[in-house]
Amino acid sequence: MVRFEDVVLRYGKGPEILKHISLQFDPGSYHFLVGASGAGKSSLLRMMYLAQHPSDGRVALFGRDIAGLSRRETALLRRQIGVVFQDFRLLEHLTARENVALPLQISGEAGARSAKDVEELLSWVGLADHMDALPPTLSGGQQQRVAIARAVIGRPSLLLADEPTGNLDDRMAVRLLYLFEELNKIGTTVVIATHNESLVQRFRHPITRLSGGEIDSSGDSAAAPKREAP
Amino acid sequence: MSRRRKHQAVPLDRDASGRYLPLLVAIMVYLAALALAGAMVANKLASRWDSGLAGALTVQLPAAAPAAENATGNDPVLPAVVALLEQTQGVIAVDAMQTSEISALLEPWLGDAVLAGDLPLPRLIAVTVDAGQPPDLAALRRSVLAIAPGSLVDDHQRWLSHLLDLAWAVEIMAIVIVAMVVCAAAIMVAFVTRMGLAAHEQAIELLHLIGAQDSYVARQFQNHALSLGLRGGLIGLLCALPTLYLGRHLLQRINSGLLPEMSLLPHEWSLLILLPVASALVTMLTARFTVLRTLARMP
Ligand SMILES: Nc1ncnc2c1ncn2[C@@H]1O[C@H](COP(=O)(O)OP(=O)(O)OP(=O)(O)O)[C@@H](O)[C@H]1O
Ligand SMILES: [Mg+2]
Repeated sequence: MVRFEDVVLRYGKGPEILKHISLQFDPGSYHFLVGASGAGKSSLLRMMYLAQHPSDGRVALFGRDIAGLSRRETALLRRQIGVVFQDFRLLEHLTARENVALPLQISGEAGARSAKDVEELLSWVGLADHMDALPPTLSGGQQQRVAIARAVIGRPSLLLADEPTGNLDDRMAVRLLYLFEELNKIGTTVVIATHNESLVQRFRHPITRLSGGEIDSSGDSAAAPKREAP
Repeated sequence: MSRRRKHQAVPLDRDASGRYLPLLVAIMVYLAALALAGAMVANKLASRWDSGLAGALTVQLPAAAPAAENATGNDPVLPAVVALLEQTQGVIAVDAMQTSEISALLEPWLGDAVLAGDLPLPRLIAVTVDAGQPPDLAALRRSVLAIAPGSLVDDHQRWLSHLLDLAWAVEIMAIVIVAMVVCAAAIMVAFVTRMGLAAHEQAIELLHLIGAQDSYVARQFQNHALSLGLRGGLIGLLCALPTLYLGRHLLQRINSGLLPEMSLLPHEWSLLILLPVASALVTMLTARFTVLRTLARMP
């Protein structure tokens, strides 16, 4: 599903943020991506949702090398990827409902049926009373839930969530992680980047730990968090 | 409830361009409407002059020698030429103008001297010819000169061709004006579209990240441009109508017989009414083209 071979990432002429990353996430798997702030988690995800090309090395998604993709192919591939951005990236002039429906509208699946799906999903994440609210009038946690709903509404094959629980209390965080769990059960590959080690401990999924721009260790168990300078 | 509100992925309707673009389009459509109407009137004048003068000749005889006139009280040359003309193949009617008619024509310029009769006046013969089978002009000229040396046989072609050149030039100028207006509008819309792309960069990036193709983004811009262009076009046309009406009124006041009926025909009206449609199309296509081109250049 996701395959990195010797990937190096530099922003401009800056230092190497990621050095020689090789990893493989199989279809239907569920991974946590952990690491200190500034370790490069978001940068790694950015390459997975095609917002960033590697400076060196190869990235393949769905078995296809992303280097040769046309703009059209890129767009179609992205429709199979749901992303929860660390900074949400909601469109501020659209209501919660419209924001969540946007991926359906773009892929041409919007309809009466999907309008109901949107409402159900928003209710499920606890926003039944805020469907027609504009993002700036919502709290950080509420906005985050809108962002999560938007990421999963299209039933993506690959779900990439960058710090999806950062603004949520533990109860809501666990609830949403169960949502991801459910999606994973119906075949979605899930990758979650987070600081929240206690959450990571609750779910038994492989952990990829970034440190110093490299993958520190990987395995089925969550190691104790390391404290590293960014 | 939210369905009432227009769902716009890129909030273009909040941009300042939404306020200025229709005004600019209105001005351009106004100019284009005047230019087009001018071209159509020029075209009408040209065809009217063309057909009005095609069947006419004027024969001008030199002023009669005072001696000859005194002797007989009449000039024998004029009847001879009239007889010749009447017998010529292709001539339909011959009308020798009376001296008094010519005097009346010239009086505004020459004053009483003409009326006093002591000025030698040329004599004019208006000839109507069959436009389908006109007489051989060169032969006719030779025959007339044989009877009355110094006469002129004028088929108005020189004068007419100058007028037609003028009308043609007016038409060309009008077309050039319309073309320039279209170019200016396109440049302006391209500029506004680029500003919009920059202003909404983040929203557009987000749309791309969740799978939008360039055509989806382009559609946002082109729909917006379409409605602005149509609105501007209608305003421009509405403003042009009173101006055209005034122009027609002024032209009719100087109606000298040379000017044909100035009102536009239905198909000419429909051309003017198509202007807002055309402006909407130009703004829409320009916006679409600009977006697609700009996005395609992005990495
Ligand atoms: N657009 C950018 N241009 C230049 N440098 C960048 C850019 N984005 C990130 N970086 C740098 O890359 C490094 C990794 O950033 P990244 O956002 O991937 O970290 P992160 O692990 O997601 O951190 P956090 O947990 O705080 O979100 C940081 O040192 C940051 O300064
Ligand atoms: Mg991050």
